[in-house]
Amino acid sequence: MSWIGFHSVLHAHGIEAVRIGRLWWLMLSVCSAVFLLVLLATGIAVTRRPQESGLPGPLPPQGRLRRNRVVAGAIGLTAVTLFVLLIASVSTGRAVASLGASNATVIKVIGHQWWWEVKYQNPRPDRIVTTANEIHIPAGRPVLIELASADIIHSFWVPSLHGKRDLIPGHDSALWIEADRPGVYRGFCAEFCGHQHAHMGLLVIADPPERYAAWYAAQLRPPPPAAPLQQRGRQIVESAPCARCHTIQGSQATGSLGPDLTHLASRRTIAAATLPNIHENLSGWILDPQTLKPGCQMPANSLSAADLQAVTAYLESLR
Amino acid sequence: MKRRPTTPVIDVSNLPTTAFGQRDPLWWGVAGVMCIEGTMFALMLASYFYLRGGAHVWPPPGVIHPGLGITTGNLALLLLSILPMHLAAQAAERQDLAKIRLWLVVSTVLFVAFLALRISIMHRLTFRWDSHAYGSLIWTTVGLHTVHVVTGIVENLLFIAVLTRGPVEDKLMDDLRLNSMYWYFVVACWALFYGVFYLDPGLLGTLR
Amino acid sequence: MSAEPIGGLTSAEDFEAAEAADRRLLERTWKYASGLWGWFTEVDHSRIGKRYIVTALIFFALGGIEALMMRVQLARPANGFLGPDLYNQVFTTHGSTMMFLFAVPIMLGLGVYLVPLMVGTRNLAFPRLNAFSYYVYLIGGLFLYTAFFLNTGPDAGWFAYVPLSGPQFSPGKRVDVWAQMITFTEISALAVAVNLITTIFKQRAPGMSLNRIPLFVWAMLVTSFMVVFAMPAVMLSSLMLALDRLIDTHFFNPAQGGDAILWQHLFWFFGHPEVYIIFIPATGIVSAILAPFTRREVFGYMALVLSLVATGFIGFGLWVHHMFATGLPQLGASFFTAASIMIAIPAGTQIFCWIATLWGGHLRFKTPLLYVLGFIFTFVIGGLTGVMLAAVPLNLQVHDTFFVVAHLHYVLIGGAVFPLLGGLFYWFPKLTGRMLSETWGKVSFWLVFLGFNVTFFPQHILGLEGMPRRVYTYLPETGWGDLNMLSTAGAFILGLGVLVYLLNGIVSLAKGEPAGDDPWGADTLEWSVSSPPPPYNFQALPMVSGRSPRWLWHDQHPVVVGLRSDRREFLITNLLDAEPDHRQVSPGPTVWPFILSLGVGVTFILGIFTPWGLPIGAVPCAVALIAWFWPRGDQGHPLLKEKS
Repeated sequence: MSWIGFHSVLHAHGIEAVRIGRLWWLMLSVCSAVFLLVLLATGIAVTRRPQESGLPGPLPPQGRLRRNRVVAGAIGLTAVTLFVLLIASVSTGRAVASLGASNATVIKVIGHQWWWEVKYQNPRPDRIVTTANEIHIPAGRPVLIELASADIIHSFWVPSLHGKRDLIPGHDSALWIEADRPGVYRGFCAEFCGHQHAHMGLLVIADPPERYAAWYAAQLRPPPPAAPLQQRGRQIVESAPCARCHTIQGSQATGSLGPDLTHLASRRTIAAATLPNIHENLSGWILDPQTLKPGCQMPANSLSAADLQAVTAYLESLR
Repeated sequence: MKRRPTTPVIDVSNLPTTAFGQRDPLWWGVAGVMCIEGTMFALMLASYFYLRGGAHVWPPPGVIHPGLGITTGNLALLLLSILPMHLAAQAAERQDLAKIRLWLVVSTVLFVAFLALRISIMHRLTFRWDSHAYGSLIWTTVGLHTVHVVTGIVENLLFIAVLTRGPVEDKLMDDLRLNSMYWYFVVACWALFYGVFYLDPGLLGTLR
Repeated sequence: MSAEPIGGLTSAEDFEAAEAADRRLLERTWKYASGLWGWFTEVDHSRIGKRYIVTALIFFALGGIEALMMRVQLARPANGFLGPDLYNQVFTTHGSTMMFLFAVPIMLGLGVYLVPLMVGTRNLAFPRLNAFSYYVYLIGGLFLYTAFFLNTGPDAGWFAYVPLSGPQFSPGKRVDVWAQMITFTEISALAVAVNLITTIFKQRAPGMSLNRIPLFVWAMLVTSFMVVFAMPAVMLSSLMLALDRLIDTHFFNPAQGGDAILWQHLFWFFGHPEVYIIFIPATGIVSAILAPFTRREVFGYMALVLSLVATGFIGFGLWVHHMFATGLPQLGASFFTAASIMIAIPAGTQIFCWIATLWGGHLRFKTPLLYVLGFIFTFVIGGLTGVMLAAVPLNLQVHDTFFVVAHLHYVLIGGAVFPLLGGLFYWFPKLTGRMLSETWGKVSFWLVFLGFNVTFFPQHILGLEGMPRRVYTYLPETGWGDLNMLSTAGAFILGLGVLVYLLNGIVSLAKGEPAGDDPWGADTLEWSVSSPPPPYNFQALPMVSGRSPRWLWHDQHPVVVGLRSDRREFLITNLLDAEPDHRQVSPGPTVWPFILSLGVGVTFILGIFTPWGLPIGAVPCAVALIAWFWPRGDQGHPLLKEKS
């Protein structure tokens, strides 16, 4: 599995996704059987030699009677099969909806065109962690994801963990997820949301609880003090348009239109899980996001090579 | 090529060339239009209740009722117009052109009076279509209904003109009956909207 | 027939001479409008029906080209063939074209052509309305494509969810183009629906009681009713959207008491029945093809009719299954799951009845029957994935992914386009008087069938692998590249198959074998007249004494006499038993429907730019309507005098 993580309904690693996966296999087998039966019946029908007269018109009465019984039986069988599938569906639905826990981690996810704002809720304001496009969760524990949208409808979908849930302006909603083992799971925006719908990804990283706790603690700490080159980078960020949209704690950048960059360097990807967070990608992105994500809200920046190096160095120091 | 010989079985040359009511295809055409518009108005009401269900305060603050007296009077005018339209339809059945014209004129006057009063009511509203979703619903519904009333007026004038200038074909009598039938529908729609918009419990609540 | 019943004549020569004279009179009375001017005044259902079919096929080809463009873009990850802006316009235009400019109009157009012939009458109930419907549809289609080529093609998807499609997030005119195109096509479809319902109810040949109506006609009847009750929802919602965009109403603006989900309810209240509006006529085509190619009446007439009616009703109870991911209360969701699963019962019943028909039949494996067999194969798959989608938990996984893309194409191409291609092959001789090439028909079938499955089957897997729909590209690391490449290859095979089919049509139009009246030995009335039918359809209206009238006729068949041939007279029959009730005079060629459609066009297109579009457009509309309805006293109606 590459950096982008698991993203298949059939590779379920979440409690709900596993249950839904079972329903999938049940439905697939029943439906395949039905399909084969229909195919078989059609095959026999078209290859069999007719016993009845060749004159055009209705079937003779005895043929009709037999077929009546068979067709009625098939309809009855269909109804029974569908009823079984209905029961399976409703009971899976109940089971899937039953996940939950008190004092679980609560993470607010806000959809933007075209990135995900992630806020770890906490009664103490100084313990709230804000990040973007990357959600760390403790494996084996239920987590409540609260969903909201800042602009239009998006849909939060991490196929390996659970089904999707729409983020609808004016209708905040919530979703429980639980990863049954540590791993990287990819999420998508599943509701068409404009130009960069295709590049509105996120990563859910399930860690063993201790590692998760360590990550959380690191996110609470301000970024480490900066070397001279990095300080220059910070000044550029603060004076350039960057600060209008981005927040970096410990700097004068406090914009709120774009992702919070406070711990950018700790993240695995940039541009909403579109590119691995490596040096070339980062500096390419800063210079010209429009080539990588045409239509995205971030404009191109004309920085000299030295300035770009400073900015990149600064951002890479934000661990 | 020899055509397949045919056997004449029914001779329809004695059948009439007009028929009233459901026997006439046009009746089905008008009924179809009523179904279409009725569905549209019903969905408008459904939208009203949907938005109402999602609102904390309904109607929104600042909405002041134009007064039950004037709105009820307005509805009464519309209900009253059913009578001359009905009499016109009856006269059409008797092919009494003078009476038809008379009742059409009376009903048209009532339509116009209704419309004038409606305009004055809409002037008194404390909100516009762009104030909030409630305003959008009210104004759009009234707008759609007004289009129907205006169409009704134009249709009546047109019928009066045809009856005066001619030629008056026998099928016009059925058109007139259908015109009345459609008008009852337009009135019924408004009666329903009146009930919802002006008698809606939420609104009566704010009156007290 | 002249007023003199033919029964009164004795000698054979008299009979033939009278018949020939009568035919000449009918030809004069019902003459097609000719020349360029005639194109704008024609009110004949077969001419207009053909226009519908040809126009819709052109839009089908355009929508197909758009599909290929998308498949090229998606063939490889991170491809640069189409950028997101163009891709979004292309997929929106593809969906809107296929739904509103191809599928619905071609089904209704086929109905416009065939229903009067099948029920045994001379024209539709409202011929001028029929002409109007076509022009409005044409204007809607031309409008969409003009905008598309001016880089103003809609780009918010064919269901244009707010707030994305609202004034804030879709500035410019792209979404307005979509909303007005919808209004044009809805008006057209609604008008056709009313026309078909009335024709089927009131103009059936004597003896064609409700239980003898051909299954295709039943299908068109149920479809028309669904149009009447479903399309107002999208007219209303697109009106609200247009108002939100034009004059700042707040129907869908949550900040001012509006609601984004209201759009989804209204849209899918239309959108789900829409699928059946496309599918039900296709079932009618399947039944129509099966009878002559099995030489059997279709098995289970009653069960099939009841299934159609049941589908029509249940089809209105499913819309929420497009909205499971919005987060519905558990109980409500279960209700819609149950309803969505239940619709498989009438669908299954139909499949079983068709298989039972094949079972007893003397099969002739011509192209139309192949398409029907292809239909059974693909539609059953589409229906079964539909059952999966009805299950809320599974739906939450595969909703808005390529799984749904696969499902909807299995249902719409497998369920509707396959029967349609079979049906057009079957009725081509009637429409044109010439046969299509059977060899090329079979070639096209196999290309279409294989191409279709290669294109869309892998998309199920892509959806399960996490590929959301409506993405203009995807990352190489997702591993979706191979299946997408396969899908694209399939799309080109499918495209080639359609191309072969269309070329077969064009070549056969000029060089096909003459068809004769009835090349297939079919059972319904349209095959009892010449190919193509004369403008008056039937010289003497036929009488019907069973479900397969033509198979019951032997040396002679019973007809109605006494309709006047010197004016455009119809026989009106009663609703239940189709007993003769009265005669009516039908209007001849007129230009006013065309003028009215222009007025409607001005209203809606101007309405994109200013609210004054309505009052300005109302003027030409009113003029056209007055001229349309003003009695001229020249159609042969008795005139009334003022009583003194």
